[in-house]
Amino acid sequence: MKRNFSPERLQLLLMGFFILSGGMVLRLFQMQILEKDSYELAAERNRTEMVYQTAPRGIIYDRNDIPLATNEPVFSLIYLPSRLTTQTELNRLAGELSRTLRQNPEGVLAKLEQAKKERTALRIAENLPVPVMFRLSELKPFYPGIDLVLEARRYYPFGSFASHLMGYMGKITPAQWERLKNRNYRMDSRIGRLGVESIFERQLRGRDGAVKIEVDAHGRIQKILKRLSWKDGQNVHLTLDSFAQRAADEALRRTASRRGAVVALDPSNGDILAFASSPDFDPNEFLGADPFSLDYSTFVPSSVPEFDRAISGLYAPGSTFKTIVSVAGINEGKLDVSKIIFCPGYFKFGRRTFKCWNHRGHGNVDFLTGFAQSCDVYFYKMGLAIGPDLIEKYEKIFHLGQKTGIALKGEEAGNLFGPETSMKDGKPWVGGDTLNLAIGQGRLLVTPLQMAVVAAALANHGTLWRPQYLNSIDSENGGEILRQNPQQIGFVRASKKTWSLLDQAMALVVASGTARGAYVKGVQVWGKTGTAQNSSGKDHAWFIGFAAKPGQAPSIAISVLVENGGHGTWTAVPIAHQVIAAVFHVGKKSQYQWPQFSPKKIGPSARKGVAL
Amino acid sequence: MTAIPHSHGRKSRLDGIFLGTLLSLLVVGSLAVLSAARPLPYYHQALERHFLAMLFGLFIFALAANFAYEAYEDQFWVVYGTVIFCLVAVLIFGTVHKGHRSWIQLGFFAFQPSEFARVGMVLILASILDKRALKMEDISTVFMSLAAILPIVALIVKQPDFSMTLTLFPIFLSMLFCAGVGWEHLAGFMVVSIAAAAMPFLYLFLSVYHPYPVSGSFLYFFMEVFRSKGAEFALLLILAAVFGVAYYVNFLMRWRLRPSLFVVFWFLLASGIVGGVAVSRKLKGYQKSRFTAYINPHSDIHGAAYHVHQSQIAIGSGGIVGKGLFSGTQSQLGFLPERHTDFIYSVIGEETGFLGAVLVIFLYAAMIWRIAGIGFNARDRYGYLVCCGVGAMFAFDFILNVGMCLGLFPVAGIPLPLISYGGSSLMASLWSLGIVANVGRRKYALL
Repeated sequence: MKRNFSPERLQLLLMGFFILSGGMVLRLFQMQILEKDSYELAAERNRTEMVYQTAPRGIIYDRNDIPLATNEPVFSLIYLPSRLTTQTELNRLAGELSRTLRQNPEGVLAKLEQAKKERTALRIAENLPVPVMFRLSELKPFYPGIDLVLEARRYYPFGSFASHLMGYMGKITPAQWERLKNRNYRMDSRIGRLGVESIFERQLRGRDGAVKIEVDAHGRIQKILKRLSWKDGQNVHLTLDSFAQRAADEALRRTASRRGAVVALDPSNGDILAFASSPDFDPNEFLGADPFSLDYSTFVPSSVPEFDRAISGLYAPGSTFKTIVSVAGINEGKLDVSKIIFCPGYFKFGRRTFKCWNHRGHGNVDFLTGFAQSCDVYFYKMGLAIGPDLIEKYEKIFHLGQKTGIALKGEEAGNLFGPETSMKDGKPWVGGDTLNLAIGQGRLLVTPLQMAVVAAALANHGTLWRPQYLNSIDSENGGEILRQNPQQIGFVRASKKTWSLLDQAMALVVASGTARGAYVKGVQVWGKTGTAQNSSGKDHAWFIGFAAKPGQAPSIAISVLVENGGHGTWTAVPIAHQVIAAVFHVGKKSQYQWPQFSPKKIGPSARKGVAL
Repeated sequence: MTAIPHSHGRKSRLDGIFLGTLLSLLVVGSLAVLSAARPLPYYHQALERHFLAMLFGLFIFALAANFAYEAYEDQFWVVYGTVIFCLVAVLIFGTVHKGHRSWIQLGFFAFQPSEFARVGMVLILASILDKRALKMEDISTVFMSLAAILPIVALIVKQPDFSMTLTLFPIFLSMLFCAGVGWEHLAGFMVVSIAAAAMPFLYLFLSVYHPYPVSGSFLYFFMEVFRSKGAEFALLLILAAVFGVAYYVNFLMRWRLRPSLFVVFWFLLASGIVGGVAVSRKLKGYQKSRFTAYINPHSDIHGAAYHVHQSQIAIGSGGIVGKGLFSGTQSQLGFLPERHTDFIYSVIGEETGFLGAVLVIFLYAAMIWRIAGIGFNARDRYGYLVCCGVGAMFAFDFILNVGMCLGLFPVAGIPLPLISYGGSSLMASLWSLGIVANVGRRKYALL
């Protein structure tokens, strides 16, 4: 049978097919052999996800090893994004989660969408209460992609306690994250803000743990590939005395204006015993369930009372400045302590009349009575005798108008007042200015911290210490790596006679003068009150002083300021009394029994029962 | 040409290589389905269906291999009527799945008539082209075969199953080519098809790169052709003017080309353009995005390009020996979509690596080589044409599917025959291969 077809064309097609198949083989060779590595990397990136666990921060202790900032184990809700999740599924998940978490659904949705966009696991909520945690673990099977991790969260056992010194933990800002992302900060990391938390962020932070997990296309966890355990942060020991600090915080909170500052130093080395500024805040409040709550788009920074009156508040020192005037006058021989001056309650200078705070007058006063009663007329006359140039010189010797150099952000230098400074500022020095200067008014501005340094110098007879709050930092393996040495910032060279007269005068202030309320049983207290006039409202109340066990060197120097507190005697002095009593443990014994509190160790044992 | 063999048996033995490659592909396919379908919630049900369909398909294969293939030519109208009947029935009784009305539910088994209609189309075309063996050079042959398959194409487009339609044209062209249709007719048909196919491509290319052309510019006019109805005729007029000028140049230069050439060429281009523009307007959103993803793979990594991207990652990460059966991360963790159907080749590439992927290409090439070989030795022209059609069907499905998995072609929902999960496709493929087997067995048969 003759075949009526010719297969040449089929052969042609077959050839074409073989060539195309060969092309496929070449393409396979290119993809699977030449470019294998890049595809392998992409496949690996698809299937693995890192979940980070915040490490416990270093514990902050006071001088008696009482923990002031610790950590507690918390459960956080994370979302592992999946590219297969549709928008409707996200909406549904956001609705369900917002109901369980009691957050607003738009916020939750925004976080879910961000996680999907950035293709990283993101914290949706932190610090979940136990019932919510159980409810979420029930939801887990229905909503692939959500999971719970155990991590450490900062906890401040005493709430509002030295808030401005301790600082708080806040959400990292986008700008900060850009700067710090190479140092293992993540978008949902928290970072120390203000105070010790911020200054020692690097030491306190530790290293976050991480779990490398395998996920499927829906973001469901398949298995754990690798676990990197966290490393605790380094512990920080402060010089704070918790009893003094508590007394200061509580006393300031009880004042009428609730605005003020207390700084207590150890006169022998400048260690800060108490550092309080009011209004303060409870740093625990910034650690709510929503990690984005401190996002600056929704949170007004000014509503955090970050303003630290102890280092940034500027006030006229008022009568507390009379201590410096006295040191200047006696040491330079311009003030005759035995000279008696009559105080009628006012002082006529040129055409102006300057009043004494006691309008009825103090009568005949010598130095000790004038100082003890804080007689303004006495100091007007002495100020004129000493001269403003000498007083200004002693302002500088006592390190006013300069920063003390405490390791905190936002310290103010204050303002000197005297003929030289006025000339620099282009303002004429008139006779009345000398009178104002002699009683600590005028353009002289100081911070409560500077006055605490002055008080410490009065206590130790001349040494000006830099105030410092750091005792030591533990090294990563337990020992100490840093022990802070005292730093001297100045010295007041004055005669023995000067110091003994000052001691006498300041003791008299407490014994029979304006600061009788500062007396503490069994303790020798020295001090000087102040009442600073100011243009806005009631006078600011001041007290500076120091105290010692009888027969021992002074162990506390204190400076108290209450804004608009009126006369120092009535508001500032009682605060000083409480702080000094607390330092010397005077009063009921139970008051000084700190609740037994040992920081929880968050370790593998606490991980039981949680997937990650 | 070939000597009459000494053996006078009625039937020859089955081609060993053909059967061997076919069975090997079924084994490879079953292993791939076993692995790829594993993450599915209905894994066991899927496997049950797959093996049941394979058993049934092998039965059909055996039946077809013993059924004299000339019967399909003799009973041309029965074949044609059955194909049309099934395709009409699916439009009336069919169930909708993923937007296509392509399935008829028969008990627990969903039957996809268009798969069988495709094989039917090969048989129908082979009959027509065989009957017109003496008039192959005549243009009427082209028109006649076109007229014969047009109802089939129209009914499949109606479902609408564009991917399936796409595979019909290469089969049609290959069969015309192998049957010996005149080169000029083929060229003319190619001009029409290329013009028609270029239009949607051009339209989508322009909408990706020049979505908002300046009003009054040439590009603006071009976009208007696609956007406002009737505007394509302005394009045809411009084209006519260009051809007029070309004819005038021809006249001046004394090239002495026939005037009818210009008219025919214009007519071919015009019909291609009108058809192409009509298709462009009918394109659905997901089809547009598939083209867009092909033109610009980085445009939308989560949408249409996601499929190709994940498929390439799967294949590339397989390396030389692969990640091992059942251990591909891309497939087992669900990153690879459609992994047990359209993208099953990517699963093979990931889990068995370069060696496995090349083995599949080798098996396919060997099988198609044997189909062609059976065609060369067929006892009659009809058998030869059936082999051409079936061979073209497998060859183009294979090239388009593997090319898609490798990211060489745009995504088209074409399964890989004999390997992808899908009962109808498997059974229809085995049926067509059974017919080829019968052609091979009866090459010397007198009856």
